[in-house]
Amino acid sequence: MGHAIEVAGLSKTFGATTAVQDLSFTVDQGRIVGFLGPNGAGKTTTLRMVLGLVRPTAGTATINGVAYVGLDDPVRTVGAVLDGGALHPGRSGRNHLRSYARASGIGDDRVEELLAMVGLTDAANRRAGGYSLGMRQRLGLATALLGDPKILILDEPANGLDPQGIRWLRDFLRHLANQGCAILVSSHGLAEISQMVDDVVVIDRGRSIAQAPLEQLMASAGGGMRVRGPDVARLAELLRAEGATVSGDGDLVVGDRTGEQIGRLVAEHQLVISELTPVGASLEEVFLRLTQSEAGGPS
Amino acid sequence: MTDLVASELLKLRTTRTFFGLVGAALGLILLITVLTASLVPFDPGDTPFIDLIAVSPLAGIFALVLGILAISTEFRHGTVTPSLLTVPNRTRWAVSKLIANGVAGLLLGLAAALIPALLILLIFAVRGVDSSADAGDVVNVVLGSAVGAGLFAALGVGLGALIRNQAGAIVAALVWLFFLEGVLGVIPGLDEVIPKYGPAAAWSAVSSIDAADDQLGQLSAGLVLAVYALLFLAAGIAMLQRRDVAANSS
Repeated sequence: MGHAIEVAGLSKTFGATTAVQDLSFTVDQGRIVGFLGPNGAGKTTTLRMVLGLVRPTAGTATINGVAYVGLDDPVRTVGAVLDGGALHPGRSGRNHLRSYARASGIGDDRVEELLAMVGLTDAANRRAGGYSLGMRQRLGLATALLGDPKILILDEPANGLDPQGIRWLRDFLRHLANQGCAILVSSHGLAEISQMVDDVVVIDRGRSIAQAPLEQLMASAGGGMRVRGPDVARLAELLRAEGATVSGDGDLVVGDRTGEQIGRLVAEHQLVISELTPVGASLEEVFLRLTQSEAGGPS
Repeated sequence: MTDLVASELLKLRTTRTFFGLVGAALGLILLITVLTASLVPFDPGDTPFIDLIAVSPLAGIFALVLGILAISTEFRHGTVTPSLLTVPNRTRWAVSKLIANGVAGLLLGLAAALIPALLILLIFAVRGVDSSADAGDVVNVVLGSAVGAGLFAALGVGLGALIRNQAGAIVAALVWLFFLEGVLGVIPGLDEVIPKYGPAAAWSAVSSIDAADDQLGQLSAGLVLAVYALLFLAAGIAMLQRRDVAANSS
C-alpha cells in the first residue's frame, strides 16, 4: 500500500531551468501537510508531477504506491484542484460538474450534493466565466470531491477566498482529515494555512529546506510560544531552570519549547495559565527566514 | 469508454460554440439551397438536384472546426488539467473525443444534407421542376455528406491535439483545404497524387455522386479520409503523450 502520497528523489528541469531538485516527502492518512514556498519555488510543478501531468526528469511520485496514471480509479482515489479550478467560461457550473461526473460514472445526485456543499446551488446555472475567484475555487473543490476521494491535493486553495471562505475551508479539511483523508495543501504564505496544517514541507528554488510538524518547526525556528496567566512568573523560573530561552515579564515568550512541552510542565506543577499560543507575527518571519537564508534576500 | 464519450458529448452540447457552429452550418446551407431551388429557372436536361445539394458538404468545414476545438479548447481554458485528472490515460481521452466529435460531425453532415434534400425535392414538386435525381442519388449524397463531415470532425480532433493553438490550427486547416492543396496539386509530380488523394479532394469525392474521371469513388474517398483521420489522431496522441501539461499552458 505505501504512503498515501510519496515523493522520492523527484527532479524536473525545463531546459536549463531546474524547477524541482531531488525532492522527497510523504503524506499519510489523517494528516494535513502544508507544502510551502515562495512563488516559483517549484510547488505547482511538484504537484503536477504527483498527478501525472508533468513528467519527472528523475525520481518518482506515487499515490498508495502507484503512479497516478496507473491508478485503477483515479477520481475515487485522489481529488485535486490546480490553477484555482480551471473551467470553460461558457459552461455553467452545474454542467461543468456533470461533465466530469459522467466521465467517471457518477450520478447527477452527487453533483447537486456537492453544489450545495460548496454553496454554489444558486449560481449553478450561470455561465462559470462570471464566477468570482472564490466561486471558481469552490467549483474546483467540488470537482475534486466528486468521487469522494481519500487523498486531496490542493494548490493554493486559499487564493481568492475571503476570511469566511478560508475558515470554511479549514474546518472542512480538518473534518476530512479526521475521517482519515490525507491532504496536501500548497501555499506561498505560512500564515494563510498555519491554522490548517499538521506538518509542513518548505521548499525554495526546487529544494526542500525544512520538513517537520508545524509546531516543531515553529519552536525550532525560534518563533516562540506566548504564555499568559497568573502563574507565568513561576513558569518562567521552571523553564529557565530547564535551560529554555524565556523572555518578557508580563507575557512570556518561550523560544525553544513546543506548546506541548510547556503544557506538560504547566500540568506537572499545577500552574494556572490563560493563554498558550505560537507567536503570530513570527509565523511569517519563520517562513521568510527559512526561504531567505537560501536566497540571500528577497527575490 | 462509454462514460467518457457521454462526458464528451455533454461537454459539446453545453457551450454556445457548438450551437453556433451547427446553426451557422445549417443556416447557410438551407439559405443557399432553398433560395436557389425556389427562384432559379431550370432548363430540361439540367441536373438541378445534384447541383443544389452540392452545397451540403460545406457542413464538413464546420465539423472540422468543431473537431479542432475539442482538444484545443481544453488547453486554451486550462480544463485539460481537470480532464486529465479524470482520465489520466491521454490516448483514451483523445479517442473518446474523436468518437464524440465524429458522431456530432456525422449527425451535422446528415442534417445538412437530408433537410435541404427534402426541401429541394418539395420545392421542385411544387414548382413542377424535374429534379432528374432518383432515390439512390439522394441516399448516396446524404450518406456521403454525413460520412464526410463525421470524418472531418475526427480529423480535426487529431489536428487540434497536434496544434494546440486554436486559431493556428483552424487557419492551417482552411489554408490547406482552400489554397495549399490546390497549389500543390499543379506541381508536376504531385499533380497525379494530390488532386486525387489530398484531404480536400477526398472530402469532395466522398459526397459527390457525379464524380469526375480522376476523382475517387465515394467509398474509396471515405476510406482515404478515414486514413487521414487516423494519421492525425496518431500524431496528435504522440504529441499529447510527450507533452508536459504545465500551468497556464496555451
